Amino acid sequence: MKAPIQTDKLSKWYGNILGLSEVSLEVRPGITGLLGPNGAGKSTLMKILTGQLRPSLGRAFIWGEKIWNNFRLFNRIGYCPEHDSFYEQTTGWQFLTGLLRLFPFSSAEAAGRAERALATVELLPDKDRLIRGYSRGMRQRLKVAQALAHDPDLLILDEPLNGLDPLGKRRIIRLIKDLKNDNKTVLLSSHVLPEVEALTKDIILIHQGKILASGDIHELRDLIDSHPHIIALRCDRPRELAARLVREPFILKVHLGGQPDSLIVETDNRDRFFSLLPELVMDMGLAVDEITSPDDNLQAVFDYLVGK
Amino acid sequence: MTIREKGYHHWDGQFLERRHPWWPITRLGIRLTFKRKFFKFIFSSSLLPAVVFLAGIYISERLEDFRGMARVESLLLNISAKYFGAYLTADFLLFMAVIILVFCAAGLVADDLKHNTLQLYFARPLRKRDYLLGKASVVFFFLFLLTLVPGLLLVIFKLIFSGSFRLLRENPWLPLAVLAYSLLFTLFLTAYALLLSSLSRNGRAVSLLIFGVYLFSDMLFNILYGIFHSPYLGLLSMRTNLKLLAVPLFGLKPPLGLPWGYSAALLAAVVALAAVVLVKKVKGVSVIR
Amino acid sequence: MSATGRVFTFFFQLGQKAKRTKFFFILSLLPVLLGAFLRLQQALTLSRRNMTGLFFYSNVVLPFYVQFLLLMLALFYGTSIVLEEVEGRTLPYLAARPLPRTSIILGKYGSSAALALAMIDVGLVASFLVLNAEQLGDLSLDLVLLRDMTVLDLGLLCYLALFAFLGALLKRAVLFGLLFCFGWENVLIYFPGLTQKLAIAHYLKSLIPQPPSSGFAFLRFNLEPSPPLTAVLVLIILTAVFLAAACLTFSLKEYLFEN
Repeated sequence: MKAPIQTDKLSKWYGNILGLSEVSLEVRPGITGLLGPNGAGKSTLMKILTGQLRPSLGRAFIWGEKIWNNFRLFNRIGYCPEHDSFYEQTTGWQFLTGLLRLFPFSSAEAAGRAERALATVELLPDKDRLIRGYSRGMRQRLKVAQALAHDPDLLILDEPLNGLDPLGKRRIIRLIKDLKNDNKTVLLSSHVLPEVEALTKDIILIHQGKILASGDIHELRDLIDSHPHIIALRCDRPRELAARLVREPFILKVHLGGQPDSLIVETDNRDRFFSLLPELVMDMGLAVDEITSPDDNLQAVFDYLVGK
Repeated sequence: MTIREKGYHHWDGQFLERRHPWWPITRLGIRLTFKRKFFKFIFSSSLLPAVVFLAGIYISERLEDFRGMARVESLLLNISAKYFGAYLTADFLLFMAVIILVFCAAGLVADDLKHNTLQLYFARPLRKRDYLLGKASVVFFFLFLLTLVPGLLLVIFKLIFSGSFRLLRENPWLPLAVLAYSLLFTLFLTAYALLLSSLSRNGRAVSLLIFGVYLFSDMLFNILYGIFHSPYLGLLSMRTNLKLLAVPLFGLKPPLGLPWGYSAALLAAVVALAAVVLVKKVKGVSVIR
Repeated sequence: MSATGRVFTFFFQLGQKAKRTKFFFILSLLPVLLGAFLRLQQALTLSRRNMTGLFFYSNVVLPFYVQFLLLMLALFYGTSIVLEEVEGRTLPYLAARPLPRTSIILGKYGSSAALALAMIDVGLVASFLVLNAEQLGDLSLDLVLLRDMTVLDLGLLCYLALFAFLGALLKRAVLFGLLFCFGWENVLIYFPGLTQKLAIAHYLKSLIPQPPSSGFAFLRFNLEPSPPLTAVLVLIILTAVFLAAACLTFSLKEYLFEN
């Protein structure tokens, strides 16, 4: 099956400034996180995918169709824009039903959908308040609601967790995860890596307009050969374990941690380390309290790829 | 003894208070206005009356060369204070001044209200009056370039072209009159523009208001004058009021025979109203209900 | 409902509630107030000169609409069609809907036109009624009103389309609009021959009879009128051309939001 979103050497310039450079990617059904710092090109990519900008070079397709001026695509696409902007003189209800009436829905259907969407984002009690009186979090939830209300197959969410408090973020994260169960395709962008890690393992890393990597976080980590893996252990005899480990050729560095029972190991072969460790624990009769991989996360992957 | 973090040292010096806290606001406003497309062209066009009047001064000193333009002679033989008053009260000058207000003043307060940046201003050691003075100075800068600078230059060029100080001997208060009128003209238009800019968050609507009120005031006067034929209705017209201000300064004939004091009082009232409204509107915190 | 119809309905409802609609509506009723002043003045015979209601209507009310209100309404509403969405950053909500870009322009144009026409027509009819109440049975007068209303409506639609195009094309459309209406068009009426035909105002003034010279000096102009049918046709064609240009520009242009 074709991926819902496909781009082929997509590039975009703003005058002399490069927004995107030769971006070729596929976004498959499920949740995909588009990650990068501010100014990386996430919003530019999303604006091209939602028909607001034209590519300077290359192509972008949704369900195999070109996007620019292809309005029919938007029957099945929901977009949550980055900017905090609304028709301020309306209430949440009027805003949502008004936008739904721009689809070929009847008033009754628009009202029903609006009610469901507002209930989903927990804004129903505040539906008759003017948007200008909404808090930042309420405004963000309203934006997500207008993206969901027409039950699209593809959701493009530009920084959907911006401005939300921790409780609000949890609600939206749960909501987005439920969408995966409904066979939707979700592409969401963020510059806050832990938030995306909570949502999905499939990520696209973008930096300075270029795609650094895409795929499963852990698989990406394993692929980064240039950076040794770091494993932290806590056990009863760390010095003895350290002395034994340094004999192995795939162990690059061992150093004692800040606490008396901690040990930090750098290895260029995670798999061999983890197959050796149980043997050593059994042979030496060690009591291991904790094993963690501090760099088996998105931030570390991103930092390594960016060259920090 | 305290152990300091590496790389950080507490600074024990004294903060020097910036002598002109409003200046960065003014500087930025002027810079942003010049960056706007077509502004330089529009501004250059607004100096057209000054060029025309300068040509008039030149011609008046070189009449023999322009004998062919017989009708001009009677107008230009005697360049007096009225000539400079005519420049400063020219309809085209006021029209261009209003256009420049649309460019430089429409968004001065409106954009800050729209983007909620007042909180950013007042989170710094900036008083309300510094903020307002900074914004007003942007308008002052451009309107002075349109009135005071060309006005004084015309006087200087007259002295240079004539080769004598006769003009100043006969009208010793002329440079002060040019300064005073430019100041009053600029003060009123600045207050007018900032007042309207504070009434809306939509810069486009303010642009239309600035131009619309100016145009409408004249139109309303003409309509009501047609009905009631009272010269006092001239006080409704911004153009007439500004011309009346110039009457005592340049010895001009008062339009509609109105006393200039009424205009001065009315324009002062508008400036006062603007001050009151601006002080109310410009605040760091606003509560939305 | 078609896409254009859906856009029209949405923005018409939004526009009805907007503060600016109330403001412009009150402004459009100003001639009614002035007409009432005149009637009061006539009743109290405060002036030696007695001006008929029709004279006041033709020489004051109509020019007020043609030379001021029509232009202000068209300029504000016309430029708002695109610029409001760009400045307010609400364009993504429209762009990410199954709406052809053309229908967005046409729908918004329709809603703006409906609101502005209502203001002009209500104001004009109310002024006419106040000023000519005792002569309403006269069919020729009613035809005058109908003719004037049609001319104003045509003019508004034409200017609205022009400013919709300018708003789609330029960021500082208001400024160019002001310079066009109150600079270019005002200057051109003093030029002879074909030059006058480069102003939309020329065609409007060709359709509305010239007022005889009076105390209203600022309203005098040198007009070489075009034939009425030509004027109507030109206005309709210009409206269509500007609208098409606005639709084309909006379909092709990318709109970037300022940070």
